[in-house]
Amino acid sequence: MKKFLFLCVLVATALLWAAAVLSQDWTSLKEASRNIQSVKAEFLQKRYLQILTKPLLSEGRLFFHVSDSLRWEYLSPLRSVMLQKGSTIQVYNYSEGVWKPEMTQAIESRRMVLAEISQWFQGRFDESKSFKHLYSPGPPARVIMVPGEGINRFIHQIEIVLSVRPGVIDRVEIEESGGSRTSIEFRNVEINSSFSPEVFEKP
Amino acid sequence: MIRKKGLDICLLGFLILSIGCVPKSGTTLSPGLPEDLPGCYAIFPTGPWESVHRIEATLRGGGSSSLLGVTKGEPLERRLESLLLTPEGFILFDAERRESGIAVRKAMAPFDSPAFARGLMEDVTLLFLPPQAKPTTWRKETDGTMICNWEGPDDSHTEIRGSMDSGWRILRRDKQGEVIKEVVLNGPFVNGLASRMELRAFKPASYRLRMILLQAFP
Repeated sequence: MKKFLFLCVLVATALLWAAAVLSQDWTSLKEASRNIQSVKAEFLQKRYLQILTKPLLSEGRLFFHVSDSLRWEYLSPLRSVMLQKGSTIQVYNYSEGVWKPEMTQAIESRRMVLAEISQWFQGRFDESKSFKHLYSPGPPARVIMVPGEGINRFIHQIEIVLSVRPGVIDRVEIEESGGSRTSIEFRNVEINSSFSPEVFEKP
Repeated sequence: MIRKKGLDICLLGFLILSIGCVPKSGTTLSPGLPEDLPGCYAIFPTGPWESVHRIEATLRGGGSSSLLGVTKGEPLERRLESLLLTPEGFILFDAERRESGIAVRKAMAPFDSPAFARGLMEDVTLLFLPPQAKPTTWRKETDGTMICNWEGPDDSHTEIRGSMDSGWRILRRDKQGEVIKEVVLNGPFVNGLASRMELRAFKPASYRLRMILLQAFP
């Protein structure tokens, strides 16, 4: 009996230790994110639509700088790029060998999305004007973003899955009203690496 | 003898005049051979399908837009579902076409007008569903080219012409006989869907849609 109790205590201690190491508390997450100046990453986006048997796959890359600059670029199946520098947003599509400005810019909705993404990369989940956040320490640690009135007509919730690497996002899951959803997996994430500021200016 | 020669010339003159009055036979097709009729439907999928297209839309002013088009079809029920998405995956337009009419499930500006919904679903129908009735005339040329004609209920006219080797063309004419829409389809065909399509609309609005097939499932 004593042996069994000892084993139980040992297992429980091991589990608690593992959880303590793997999970990130809210304060350490904010602290780690505060040191992020730039992010460079590739991503795989899976778009699940109710009318499609298989998801629509898109691949791309992103560049983020803390000075309100973001480049969100799709390389396939459509080559397209959103450039944000301060309050300026430009959208281009690559067609017939040249970059063309997008006709239907839909700037306001894109501005909102880019603002949200920029806040996520800085761990500023609690500063969103459009979403309330819930933190789950995990592992893996997750932030659930619940939309406010208006946006909830289109988005049910956004789940941000955090990496064990402090300040790094592993995956974003967006659930839409109506059953469609999007999963974005980030790969080859580089924190605070250097790149030319031109990536935010030219397609 | 002179009178006989004069009569001959007169008869010859009548003959020439009468030949001049015979209607041209080359422009009108006979209903066609029953075994050639399936060729009129060769460019349309026969069973349920779903597809993803890359769409390049160009308006007359020169503005262009790159979009993703997702379409699902049930040919036997003449049902089509169509979505337009931005490259990022935002749904701009989501509608369904049934026999009873068009149901728009989602439409974001500038794709939120009833005229746009009607026009888009007309285009999708022209691209993926054959006209409902049997062709009024059809013919298979010696080189394998099919020529099929349908008369619409509103006096519109649809012609499908082509072959798997040379590509296909769909012409939609209004009741005045003017071409209002033209579609060019090129193979290879994947699960009954053309790899490349180009739709040009001339009336009432002028625009061009270039479509490249990215995914197709039976």
